Amino acid sequence: MKRLLADRLVLATAVTVLLVSALFAGLRVLGA
Amino acid sequence: MQSSFLRGAVWLAIYLFFVLAPLLALLLGDLPRSRDFWTEFSAAIGYVGLALMGLQFGLTARFRFVTAPWGEDVIYHFHRNISLVALALVVAHPIIIFIVSPHMTWLLKFWEAPPAARWAAASTYSLIALVVLSLWRVKLRISYEWWHKTHIALALVAVLAGVVHMALWGFYLGDPFKRALWIGLAIFWVALFVYTRVVRPLFVLRKPYTVTEVRRERGASWTLVMKPDRHAGWRFKPGQFAWLSLWGGPFKLTQHPFSFSSSAAARDGTVEITIRELGDHTRRIREVPVGSRMYIDGPYGAFTSGCPSDMHVLIAGGVGITPMMSMLRTLADEGDKRPVVLIYGSADWESVTFREEIEAIKPRLNLKVVYVLSKPEAGWTGETGFVDAGIVQRHIPAPYAEHEYFICGPDVMMEAVEKSLASLGVPQSRYHSERYSFA
Repeated sequence: MKRLLADRLVLATAVTVLLVSALFAGLRVLGA
Repeated sequence: MQSSFLRGAVWLAIYLFFVLAPLLALLLGDLPRSRDFWTEFSAAIGYVGLALMGLQFGLTARFRFVTAPWGEDVIYHFHRNISLVALALVVAHPIIIFIVSPHMTWLLKFWEAPPAARWAAASTYSLIALVVLSLWRVKLRISYEWWHKTHIALALVAVLAGVVHMALWGFYLGDPFKRALWIGLAIFWVALFVYTRVVRPLFVLRKPYTVTEVRRERGASWTLVMKPDRHAGWRFKPGQFAWLSLWGGPFKLTQHPFSFSSSAAARDGTVEITIRELGDHTRRIREVPVGSRMYIDGPYGAFTSGCPSDMHVLIAGGVGITPMMSMLRTLADEGDKRPVVLIYGSADWESVTFREEIEAIKPRLNLKVVYVLSKPEAGWTGETGFVDAGIVQRHIPAPYAEHEYFICGPDVMMEAVEKSLASLGVPQSRYHSERYSFA
């Protein structure tokens, strides 16, 4: 069960870092 | 289930803070002129990829507060898979730049490119090599020790070269605060490595053990009996393991995890570790001289009994009997009379490790033993084949979901047993397993 949770954490990390990176880029472009 | 979700959420939040906070800090204060969205996105994933790589040193630093909630094998499982995320980000970083600005592809000409680009190439190629060697070590017929040494070297090169690239390119690091933050992070990552390879071994060096016996066991296995040398020893829980280097001291780069096979209730600090001759390293176990000094980094592991349950079901395959023996010996020494069922898969009767001792310990426990032989001799009337749902149903009383299960053995066996237990309605929170196939 812990391995399954670890796999989900990896996926959650990947999705989150991509979204935050996109947010970073968006803020920069919009002049933050 | 809810507590696992909460625990996962908390750990994810902490991990993501260390990954993303340094990136978001770059948005503070004075900023350089902004570029197009994709170039900025590429920069962001470059920073994040580097942070993911650096934090890998923290995941493998054997911090108990990190590993205890999960078990070391789960941490290494996460370490392995998150490296693929880091690789994807690090490789995508330049690819996006080259797509957005094709004229920048001249940076791929290593000997003509500026130093910042060369360091980026060194970092990226090292990371690619690291992942390739890890995923295909066995197919490439690379010994574990050689793989491990190159793994550490490539990891250091990938991270340090990435830091140099970041510092030299410096688009976001003009502000002294931001520069200090990221350089400080890099020093922190290296410090994690130094802690694991220098500081922690110094502590282990202070508590050596002496090998007092090298005992042959059935099934091409050997038990090392070790007594603490001028210290009281330390306690461990049954089912836990330690990192050990059979030859060389605590500073040796490559160590191997071995489960304790002795009782955790032993008062004199003596520990026993039983090792099967399986590879280049373990085939020499019989040559360990009595009287030699051993350095043990432990205990670690969340694979341990002691949970409140009506019955323990121990399912072992091959050398997976080792942590189970620790559990049985400990339960016997503690006078625990709760029912225990041991289902033990082995190739044949002669290779059943601890066969005699298991029979001897039965009177001290409420123990039922089921041997499952895949290559039984003629006349064998017991279970044959491999441990499956049928064997579990025949020898374990319902309700199956009420018992606590511990599974240790070859990966194939563990996966089959886990599927069997799931098919019997045993919730995942009720069975525990530990896997140590790193590469």
